[in-house]
Amino acid sequence: MEEIGGAEAVINLKSGYSLPISYHPCFGPHEDLLLLEADDKLVSDIFHQRVTLRGLPDEDAVLCTKSKTYAIKFVGNSNSMFLIPPSIFPGDAQVSDTNNNVSVLKIAPGNMELVEASPRLDKLKQILLANPFGAGEVEAMMDVDNDDLDHSGKKDLALYTWSDLVNTVQASDEELRNGLQSLSAIEIDGFWRVIDENYLDVILRMLLHNCVLKDWSFDDLDEDEVVNALVADEFPSQLASHCLRVFGSKVNETDKWKLEPRLVCLHFARQILREEKMRLESFMEEWKKKIPDGMEERFEMLEGEVLTEKIGIETRVYTFSVRSLPSTPEERFSVLFKHRSKWEWKDLEPYLRDLHVPRLSMEGLLLKYTRRAQPKADAPPVFSAR
Amino acid sequence: MEIRVKCRCGEEECSEWAIVELQGVVETQASFQGSIQNLEIGRLCHSDSSQGTYTFTVGYHELVGSKVTLKKPLLVLKKLQFDEVSGKATELEVVGIIRTKILFKTRPKPLISGNNNLSLNKLKPLYCFIISACFNNVVSVCTIE
Repeated sequence: MEEIGGAEAVINLKSGYSLPISYHPCFGPHEDLLLLEADDKLVSDIFHQRVTLRGLPDEDAVLCTKSKTYAIKFVGNSNSMFLIPPSIFPGDAQVSDTNNNVSVLKIAPGNMELVEASPRLDKLKQILLANPFGAGEVEAMMDVDNDDLDHSGKKDLALYTWSDLVNTVQASDEELRNGLQSLSAIEIDGFWRVIDENYLDVILRMLLHNCVLKDWSFDDLDEDEVVNALVADEFPSQLASHCLRVFGSKVNETDKWKLEPRLVCLHFARQILREEKMRLESFMEEWKKKIPDGMEERFEMLEGEVLTEKIGIETRVYTFSVRSLPSTPEERFSVLFKHRSKWEWKDLEPYLRDLHVPRLSMEGLLLKYTRRAQPKADAPPVFSAR
Repeated sequence: MEIRVKCRCGEEECSEWAIVELQGVVETQASFQGSIQNLEIGRLCHSDSSQGTYTFTVGYHELVGSKVTLKKPLLVLKKLQFDEVSGKATELEVVGIIRTKILFKTRPKPLISGNNNLSLNKLKPLYCFIISACFNNVVSVCTIE
């Protein structure tokens, strides 16, 4: 029989043969050696160097591929797992076993397992919304003569570059990029920022004003023209084109943009309501006044953004935005039921639409977190906390 | 903090490690004083009579088991820590992959027969088995250090 040792000898041990197993000359706890269970797809990602661990020292670590996030669980094993290295252990001469022995380097107390998880994007929202980019900074940015002000103004703010975000937020690159997009964040001077809603309001109104003035159609806006006009009105060009991205969408395979009535109307509704509760009639009246000619407001546009409540004969409307709610199902349902103990499906659905939980359907989520009641056979079901 | 999982080898060249797994814990007898490095644990035998059966003889005990292909491979990762100018950095490097293990899931059988009674005393050092009462796996959560 060929003289081989290490793991190869164990794996290839022929029928009818035997070999001695010893403790390795370097046998010990070797806490720097970890076992990670991974399916074939992940193994291939890992070999292609596409995998990282992310988390702060006080957080549970997650493993991220390019597109997915996995929670890491340590699974202990009360069996003894004798770990046998190959006879030649590259990169660690000290541990290499030259005597063709089969020896145990470590007894593994268990291994790490991966469970697909939702990205932890609430933190992204929280850190970006803490310092929105507002009018004050725009002035400093436009004021080229005063460099000092620019720098001292930013020094006190906690701002995040892409690499800071990767180090802070537990999400894969793809999930992080989608998260930034859904927050309408923009990279300014290397830092990812969200734009202050009041400042966006000023740009949007100026853009709409220009549309009227220059007789542009909302469905056929030329990016260069729009940006040049706004720059002439002293808005930074980067923010001018960002405004198109926030309130519009690109017309198929052209350089043209179209304003999305829903997004524009929603913006004005939020501007009117703010923290207030308003009578539905007066809200609708004020809202109508703000909507530019050529667009039509419909109450359904506000799904997932406002709620109504009936007090006596009066219906009142107030802001309750899905964007302000936590993204984990447990916390989401808890906030929803704290806000209102019973929900009809038509009201509840807009607040759940964006919840994507690996391996759990919407039906499954409802079963897990809600109690469903149907007062009458033909009545719509009502959901309450479990 | 971000820790990159690196590997210097490709999937094909990645060296294969092996696991021999048995119930409970193997311990040296209380009387054994020396260091256990280099000490022989036992003899692994791939049975001749029935394919796929392995025995592992430890001291007076014999275990019977089989070779198992893991449903999901285990990667052997090594945590590398080094000081950079800017501070401490950690990396994980894949140093091996485990696709098979030899699993002994039965309890050990004592090896006593009339013929070798005398020779038993010559087996040094002696091992004993501690079979844990509970085989439930314990799950906990990991953090990055």
